[in-house]
Amino acid sequence: MIKGFKKSSMIAMMLSASLGFAADDIKIGVTGPYTGGSSSMGVSMREGVKIAIEEINKNGGVLGQKLVAVERDDEAKNERGVQIAEELINKEKVVATVGFINTGVALASQRLYEEAKIPVMNNVATGSILTKQFLPPEFPDNYIFRNSANDSIQAPMIVEEAVVRRKYTKLAILADSTNYGQLGKDDLTKALAAKNITPVAVEKFNIKDVDMTAQLLKAKEAGAEAILTYGIGPELAQIANGMTKLGWKVPMIGSWTLSMANFIDNAGPGGEGARMPQTFIQDPNTQKRKAFIEAYLKSVKPKNGRIESPVSAAQAYDSIYLLAAAIKQAGSTDGKKIKDALENLQEKVEGVVTVYNKPFNKEDHEAITLNIPVFGEVKGAKVVYAYEEDRKKGADLRLKQTKK
Amino acid sequence: MLFLYLKKLNNIMEILLQLIYSGIALGMIYAVIAFGYQLTFATSDTLNFGQGDALMLGALVGLTLVDVMQIDYWLALPIVGLFGLIQGAFVERIGVRPAIKIKSEFGWIMSTIALGIIFKNVAENIWGRDDLRFPSPLPEAPMKLLGANVLPMEILVIAGAILMMLSVEFFNRKTIYGKAVVATFNDRDAAKLMGINTGLVITFSYALSSMSAAFAGVLIAPLTLTGATMGSVLGLKAFAVAIIGGLTSGMGIIIGGIILGIAETTTGFYISTGYKDVPGLVLLLLVLAVKPAGLFGKSAIKKV
Repeated sequence: MIKGFKKSSMIAMMLSASLGFAADDIKIGVTGPYTGGSSSMGVSMREGVKIAIEEINKNGGVLGQKLVAVERDDEAKNERGVQIAEELINKEKVVATVGFINTGVALASQRLYEEAKIPVMNNVATGSILTKQFLPPEFPDNYIFRNSANDSIQAPMIVEEAVVRRKYTKLAILADSTNYGQLGKDDLTKALAAKNITPVAVEKFNIKDVDMTAQLLKAKEAGAEAILTYGIGPELAQIANGMTKLGWKVPMIGSWTLSMANFIDNAGPGGEGARMPQTFIQDPNTQKRKAFIEAYLKSVKPKNGRIESPVSAAQAYDSIYLLAAAIKQAGSTDGKKIKDALENLQEKVEGVVTVYNKPFNKEDHEAITLNIPVFGEVKGAKVVYAYEEDRKKGADLRLKQTKK
Repeated sequence: MLFLYLKKLNNIMEILLQLIYSGIALGMIYAVIAFGYQLTFATSDTLNFGQGDALMLGALVGLTLVDVMQIDYWLALPIVGLFGLIQGAFVERIGVRPAIKIKSEFGWIMSTIALGIIFKNVAENIWGRDDLRFPSPLPEAPMKLLGANVLPMEILVIAGAILMMLSVEFFNRKTIYGKAVVATFNDRDAAKLMGINTGLVITFSYALSSMSAAFAGVLIAPLTLTGATMGSVLGLKAFAVAIIGGLTSGMGIIIGGIILGIAETTTGFYISTGYKDVPGLVLLLLVLAVKPAGLFGKSAIKKV
């Protein structure tokens, strides 16, 4: 038995030596939907990761080793996400994983990483509970981190925009029937309740629904002054198209997915004016952002020079830099050491969203706080700053504010 | 007081009218897809479960013609139809004929589903994975009709559905080819003895079925968004329509579509948008239990 093991490990060593591959690379798992309705986020995310890894490798890599992305398409399906997690952990032996666009997929897959003690950096998924799945004291260590704006940040921002800044009191919520939509709907209702407002209508729709008449008529009859949305691009576009059809136009304010290219393109003129929280707007107002946007446009050459999902790309880029800094500080690719380093990052990490100064600690695994995202607006088929003062101050980095 | 009451009543009627309009438009979207199921069932007792994918391919080919090659929408229609014909014949030759030959009861189910998945993957590689916008050939502003709004494109879909129904009925009843189709359905062996090339009739029906699906795809794409996954849910709903209306009746498909469409919109408004798909499915179960051939279907008597 032992003999056999020795022999096989010898062969394995010879193989890896002769191929000169993998043994010395630091593998990072990249999981997201590169197909289906949320693929514009997944593909932008993958590209953001690629750009960051290329830059880092060009500058000598991490710990003298090259970073390598192991990309897998989870198709936004929970069961597929779990399969991929198993593959990445057991077969590919990744050091850490970034990605997850869909809250449901992340919730289903993260347990495997937690058990394997491999850090996960959620760079797009926004479900509030994602980083709170494995909290102490039940679990000694939490391996789940995030650098996207979670729903408990986005929902209050949306309500703030609708109620305080634009003075609407009659609001309808339209959310899709997925985990994402329904958890978001709960967050919105909670945030409205904090302002003593009950939504006049709360409606549901399914992925791939092509008719929104019933939902919109209910909102209209209830006298809604604006529609708050939680869904993904294609169906959000059907909402905008449905409003055009009914000849009833009220503002759409919703989660960051209103910036998805497949919303903007499919809604056409009906989507103009939609507003959403954004951690990143495609505006080259700092040196770092300019370089990032140029690198993206050069490698992907998207239509009309527009990044499909700028937020996903930017957060993905930052997620790799955060991990790289942690691996460097840990001086090792051991999952626990990387996790400890993330919780106590000494280096200030310069990303495109912001500069991360001690983004995480033992209790707080969220890098983005309420003050960081700005409001974006769809204008001329692009997402721009909704408020002029935000645009002017766009170059001033918004740093994480920790609640005291 | 009375005035206020009347105004309120008027408002209620307007909403109902709007729900019915949208329901009909939605139902006709399902109906134009459902015709494809009927055409193959009418000859070979088999169904092309890749109907949704034939629809998707038609829409995407149409999009390429209109958007990339700048061909006029109306001129693109026959090209898409031709594409559908070829694609359908291909499905029959590869997937269905071997199953029929060995008199397999279920082989064609798996093979049409498998071909559908392959088509979807091919489409994802050619056209990408995102939902795309199909430029509308008609103005996109809504029209007012008796107090409720309707899109010109929706009227076109309704017209298309009725046209398809009429041509199916005309074809089956009035043409010699149609008679061959009906004969093949009634008794394949007897038809063969009468000199009908039943194999060709079945291939032809698959070609026609995919042609109608491709045509339906281009017709509904400006309303539904276009993409590799567009056929999945729509194909399923259309299947429900075909079952409710009856797999042998052109009229049944239209009525079945209207019933399912209006059930969805009115349930969504009057009960809850969370339950809008329920009444249609309950109806489907009821029909299967009470009149398995569908509301308008002729129940075939099979002598064994």
